[in-house]
Amino acid sequence: MANIVVCYKWVLDEQDIKVNPGNLALDTSRAKSKISDYDRNAIEEAVLLNEKDGHKVTGLTFGVAGAKQSLKDALSRGPAEAVWVNDPVAAEADAFVTANVLAGALKKVGNYDVIICGEGAADTYAQQVGPRLAAVLGIPAITFVNQMSIEGDKVVATRKLGDCTETVTASFPVVVTVLPEINKPRIPSLKQVLGASKKPVTEIKLADLGLNPDDLKRKTTVKSLKGYAMTRKNVIYKDGSTAEKVAKLVAELAKEGAL
Amino acid sequence: MSEEEKFDAIIIGAGPAGIACAYLLAKAQKNVLVIERGVTAGSKNVTGGRLYTYALEMVEEGLTKAAEEALERKVVREQITMMDGDKAITIDYHDLGFKGDVPQSYTILRAVFDEWFAAQAEAEGAMIATGIRVDDVIEKDGRIIGVKAGEDEMYADVVIAADGVNSLIAQKAGLRGELPAHSVGVGVKEIIELPPKTIEERFNVGPDEGVAKLSLGCTEGIQGGGFLYTNKDSVSLGVVFSPEQAAKNGKKIHEIFQDYKMSPAIYPLIGDGTTTEYGAHLVPEEGLRGVPKKLFRDGLVLVGDAAGFGINMGYIIRGIDLALVSGAAAAKAIIAAEKVSDVGPAYMKELDNMRLIPNMKAVAGFPDILTLPRIFSTYPKMANDVFQYLFTVDGKVPTKMTKALMGIVKKHVTMGQLMGDAWRGLKSI
Ligand SMILES: Cc1cc2nc3c(=O)[nH]c(=O)nc-3n(C[C@H](O)[C@H](O)[C@H](O)COP(=O)(O)OP(=O)(O)OC[C@H]3O[C@@H](n4cnc5c(N)ncnc54)[C@H](O)[C@@H]3O)c2cc1C
Repeated sequence: MANIVVCYKWVLDEQDIKVNPGNLALDTSRAKSKISDYDRNAIEEAVLLNEKDGHKVTGLTFGVAGAKQSLKDALSRGPAEAVWVNDPVAAEADAFVTANVLAGALKKVGNYDVIICGEGAADTYAQQVGPRLAAVLGIPAITFVNQMSIEGDKVVATRKLGDCTETVTASFPVVVTVLPEINKPRIPSLKQVLGASKKPVTEIKLADLGLNPDDLKRKTTVKSLKGYAMTRKNVIYKDGSTAEKVAKLVAELAKEGAL
Repeated sequence: MSEEEKFDAIIIGAGPAGIACAYLLAKAQKNVLVIERGVTAGSKNVTGGRLYTYALEMVEEGLTKAAEEALERKVVREQITMMDGDKAITIDYHDLGFKGDVPQSYTILRAVFDEWFAAQAEAEGAMIATGIRVDDVIEKDGRIIGVKAGEDEMYADVVIAADGVNSLIAQKAGLRGELPAHSVGVGVKEIIELPPKTIEERFNVGPDEGVAKLSLGCTEGIQGGGFLYTNKDSVSLGVVFSPEQAAKNGKKIHEIFQDYKMSPAIYPLIGDGTTTEYGAHLVPEEGLRGVPKKLFRDGLVLVGDAAGFGINMGYIIRGIDLALVSGAAAAKAIIAAEKVSDVGPAYMKELDNMRLIPNMKAVAGFPDILTLPRIFSTYPKMANDVFQYLFTVDGKVPTKMTKALMGIVKKHVTMGQLMGDAWRGLKSI
C-alpha cells in the first residue's frame, strides 16, 4: 500500500471573470472558486489507483482562508483525508513559493510515496509546481503522464511527448504530473458528498512549516494582468449575389495573407 | 438502514421554499439535509426579480435587514407600460413610503440571494449537498421514507419537495400529473449590466432605489407580458407568455423577447448595457386552480412552486414570497408534529394561519382576466389610440371628443365584446 498525496489548487472560475472592455482590467469581484480543472484529474487518478489496489490518498492544498470551501469538494471526490496549509501568502505565491510550501507540508506530514499534481494550474498554467516540488524534495518527477500504475514500490507511467510516448519507471517517492486526458473526473454522489464532511482535515499554519523567509519570496513579479481582446475588423459584405460576396471575402482574405 | 443515514428531514431543492424550511428546521436543532442539483444554490434559478419582504419577516423577524447585502434595490417606482409599436403609455406610481423601515419589496438576483440564504441555513447546521439531482422518492407501506439520487438512497422522517414548478417529486409521489401546457407560462430573461449611475439617471431613482415595470402589448397578441427590474448594477429584462398560444401563432420565444427588448419603450433604458446572463423557466399561471388537491402524503409535503403556489395578476407576479411562507409553514408543522402523520394536516393549518391560502383565494379569479385575449393587444392599442388623439395637434380641426373616442373604441372592439370583457373582468376580481 502506497501513501498517495494529491496536490490541488483552489482557483477562480474563469467563467466568472469579466474583462473591462475599456482598459482590459480584470473584474474578479463576482468570481466563484473551484478546484483547478487539471487537479481534478490528479485527484481522480489517485482515487482510481486506490480503488484498484488499495492505497491511502491524502489531498493537499495551499490556499487562503477561502480555500476552506475546497476541502469538502476535494474529499467528496474520494481522498481519505485532507491537509490544508492556510495562509494569505497563497494569494501572491508563484510556483517557487508554492513548491516550497507544499514540500514543507509533505515533510511535516511525513509519509509520502507518490505525489500527484495536475500538469498545470487552470489559472496560470505555469507547469512548474510539480517539477519544482520534486526538486525541493530531491526526488524524481515524471511529467506529461497520460497513463500510470503502481507496481510494488514503483510507479510505471506513460508520458505523452508530441507524437510519441515514453514509458518510465521510478521508485518511491516520486512526483507525477498528469494530463487531463488521463481520466474523466467523477461527479461525486450524494453519499460521497455527505461522507466528505466526516473525513479528517488537518489545517497547518505556514509558520509551523519552519520555512525561511526567502523560501516565501516569489521569484517572478507580475507586472500587469490584463484581459485579451481580439481586435476584429467587423467587415460585412452586403452587396451583390452570394457568389460575389464569397469572392470578395476570399479575395480580401488572400490579400491579408490569411489564406 | 443505519441511523447515521437517517435525517429528520430531507429537502429537495435549494430555492427560497427549500431554504426557508431548512433554515427554520436547523434553528430548531433538527437534522436536515438539503439536496440541490445546481452547482450552488441559486445557480440554476430564473426569476423576474422582486421579493416582497413581508415573507422574509414571516420566516423570521429581522431577516430582511440581515439579508440586505444579498438584496438589490428598494422598489419605489411601480410602472405599467402599454405598448403599441412605436407608441406607449406608461403609468408611473412613485411611493417613497414603500422604502419604509422594512421596505415593502426589493429587486433581487437569485444567484446572489439564494446563495446567501443557503449559507445562513448552513450556518444554523443544515447540511447542503449541491450538484446532486434527486431522481425518486422511496416508499414503504404507503409512506414516503426517503429519496433516491443516482445509486444512493437516503432516509428521513419527512421529505419536503421544494423542487420548483413541474415538480418531479410531486409527480413521482402521485400528487400531481404532468403540467398541461395551458397552466404554465414560459419566462425568458436577460440580465443586462449597466453602471449604477446610469440606472439611477435613466430610471430617475436614488442610489438604493429601484423600479419594477410590467409591460402589456409586447407579446404580439399572445397571452403574456414583459417585465423589467432594476438591480444594483444591472437590469433584469424578460417576457412571460403562454407557450401554447405562441406555438399556435408560430412565434419563437427569442423573437418575442428580442422585439420587446428592441422596442422604443425599452431599448433606450438598456442601451449600452452588456448582457451577462440568459435564462428560461416556467411560471405557474393558474393561481389557486393550479394547486394540487392534496399537498401532502404521509412523509411528504409540497412547498413553493412544487405546490403550485403562484399569483399572477398581470401587474403583479408573486411566487418567491409564497415559496418562503410555505417553506416556513412546513418547518413549523414539522417542529410541532408529534408523529409523522401529523405533519401534513398541521402544514395545511399553517398555510391558512400564515395567510397563504387566503391570499391565493382572494385573487383566484385573476387568471380569467388574463385569458381575455384582447388584454394583450387590442386594449393596449386602443389606449394608445386614445392618447394619440388627445395629444395630436396638427392644425386640422379636431373631431369632437365623444365622437372621436367612440370611433376609436369601435375600430378595435364591438360594444358586445367590450361589455362582455368588462363583465368578465369585474366578475373575476
Ligand atoms: C421569468 C419569471 C419571473 C418571475 N418573477 C417573479 C417575481 O418578480 N417575484 C416573485 O415573487 N416571483 C417571481 N417568479 C416566480 C418565482 O421565481 C418562483 O415562484 C420561486 O422561485 C419559487 O421558489 P421555489 O423555491 O418553490 O422553487 P425554485 O426557485 O424553482 O427552486 C427549486 C430548486 O430545486 C432544484 N431542483 C429541482 N429539481 C430537483 C431535483 N430533482 N433534485 C435536486 N434539486 C432539484 C432547482 O435546481 C432549484 O434550485 C418568477 C418566475 C419566472 C420564471
